[in-house]
Amino acid sequence: MCSDVTRRDVVRALGALGIMGALPLPGLAAGRGGAPFSVESLPALEGELTLYLGRGEGGLYEDVINAIRDRNPGLSLQVRRGPTVALANTIVAEAEAGVRQADLFWAVDSGSLGLVSDAGLAQPVPEALGAGLREGFRYDNWVPVSGRIRTLPFNSDRLSLEQIPEDIMALPETDLSVGWAPAYGSFQSFITAMRLLEGEKATREWLLGMKARARQDAGEFGVVMGVSRGEVDLGLANHYYTLRLLSGQPDAPVALAMTRDDAGSLLNASGAMALSERPVAMDFIRYLLTTEVQSYLAREAYEIPMVSGVELPEGLPSEDRIQPPELELTRLADMRPTLDLMRDAGVL
Amino acid sequence: MRKRFTAVTGALALAVSVGFASTSALASGEIGEHVQNLKSNLGTYEQDVGRFTDRLDTMASAYAENGPDAVETDQLIELWEEVKLHAAVEVTYVPVYASIWQGIYGFKEAVDNDSGIERVRAEKAALEAALWQGLGAVKMASKHQASGGSNKGQEAGSAGGDPVDRIITNLEKVTVEHAEGETEEATELVHDTYMEIFEGIEGALIEQDAELVESLEKDFNVTLPQQLEKGAPVSEVTAQVDAMKEKLSRAQELLQKAEESQGDVF
Repeated sequence: MCSDVTRRDVVRALGALGIMGALPLPGLAAGRGGAPFSVESLPALEGELTLYLGRGEGGLYEDVINAIRDRNPGLSLQVRRGPTVALANTIVAEAEAGVRQADLFWAVDSGSLGLVSDAGLAQPVPEALGAGLREGFRYDNWVPVSGRIRTLPFNSDRLSLEQIPEDIMALPETDLSVGWAPAYGSFQSFITAMRLLEGEKATREWLLGMKARARQDAGEFGVVMGVSRGEVDLGLANHYYTLRLLSGQPDAPVALAMTRDDAGSLLNASGAMALSERPVAMDFIRYLLTTEVQSYLAREAYEIPMVSGVELPEGLPSEDRIQPPELELTRLADMRPTLDLMRDAGVL
Repeated sequence: MRKRFTAVTGALALAVSVGFASTSALASGEIGEHVQNLKSNLGTYEQDVGRFTDRLDTMASAYAENGPDAVETDQLIELWEEVKLHAAVEVTYVPVYASIWQGIYGFKEAVDNDSGIERVRAEKAALEAALWQGLGAVKMASKHQASGGSNKGQEAGSAGGDPVDRIITNLEKVTVEHAEGETEEATELVHDTYMEIFEGIEGALIEQDAELVESLEKDFNVTLPQQLEKGAPVSEVTAQVDAMKEKLSRAQELLQKAEESQGDVF
């Protein structure tokens, strides 16, 4: 361990020396490997295609699917919807039974994609397609479509940005009151990331330290509302809740802070994978990565575009300030030890 | 609230639900072959409603004359478990099915809690209305079934339709599961409905009415699950679900408004 000095170790050391601003961390802006492309540059989709859509139903993913369908009258698209994990298990079970039905899987959480990937059912992503994605988010056999990032929404009447630690592990050492929603899936993914990045011991200590100062909410939007009302100083929540609230209530006293290069700034993503070799499956994924679809999801759902060069949703810090940790997202599926840890610490 | 559901609105759900009718087990247990041929059994179903109304008359009279101890209200549940109408409504139209369960427990609790004859009569009338609505839904389903209707063309795995309507239907199912003592199933359905449907619409709703979203988030994640786990009376769970339905109706209006200002993908 001692000899493996990671980017994160350097961040910590420089942070302790108070020279974080000089650190050349790449952020989301770096490493652009390809230019965004328009739907106008894509061929029409034709033939039959079966898409398994995990979650996002009732939301804007449906609009995207309908728009692709409308634009491609020669495409006969069947959609099967359901809970993401259930669909992932179905895909694996169907493959084992020799009755593979899905050509494509679009899932809201990367862990489910990992389950299918581990079963060896996903097709490789063409190099040219992967090159357009943000660096650090290019995978062999699945493509991240849009992301959400962990943030620290804070009450801007009570705190300034400088009062908030940029290291998530330092949060228990502050005297700040915190709102959180441990039963929420994204929170558990965040703790999973912490466990993978910092180890079980440090994560347990963090949970125990936070437990003393944390107020539990029913969900992460409740966390943001509690911050806005000044019931707590800051919260732990996905970024879009704050942006949505500010869109509806621009004067709400809430702002976003982010940690650097740790679980506190985890960027998790929805993603898609082709399951059949038929070109139309990968071509459908190309549609999801067009500037039009990426911008639509950023504009309407406040999701983070995973294609380099597409603008972030309004209200987020600049790309170079967003510094998520390096972590293979499909590893977040390893949730059981996290839940055990949270129960042991008495926060779940 | 339960009077909102009519046999006419029930027709909207028939095309889907009849297509899925089978003789497998539902929440209430095995359902019979009769649901494969609703039309031939309409007479039986009508008799079942008659048996119920007779029994309710007897119970209400006994209560009026001798008080709650003179009425064995559990017999009402036993009767509902026994009649064929039960399965026919269950596979035909869930909202009315839920209303019948709510009606049974409404009557039972009014008697058991000695709420007075006026309240008992009101609950009796509500239950009878729900039973007749159930019969109406089954009759319409039988016509559709006889004409060979199916769910062909429906996208696999999709409940289809407006997400708020689907949430409300699921909440109706929750009250049924709870009334049947299926606490785990009821709790799981609340959780899945929140995760799979509500989370898909809450984003747009936050911009319209943040407090409404916060309130529903608490309903889904705390209030209703706690009531189910504690085994709260059916009337309490029904009241909570009714309150959520009112909030969801407001949400539906707001979402329609938000959709008007939403841009196109391409």
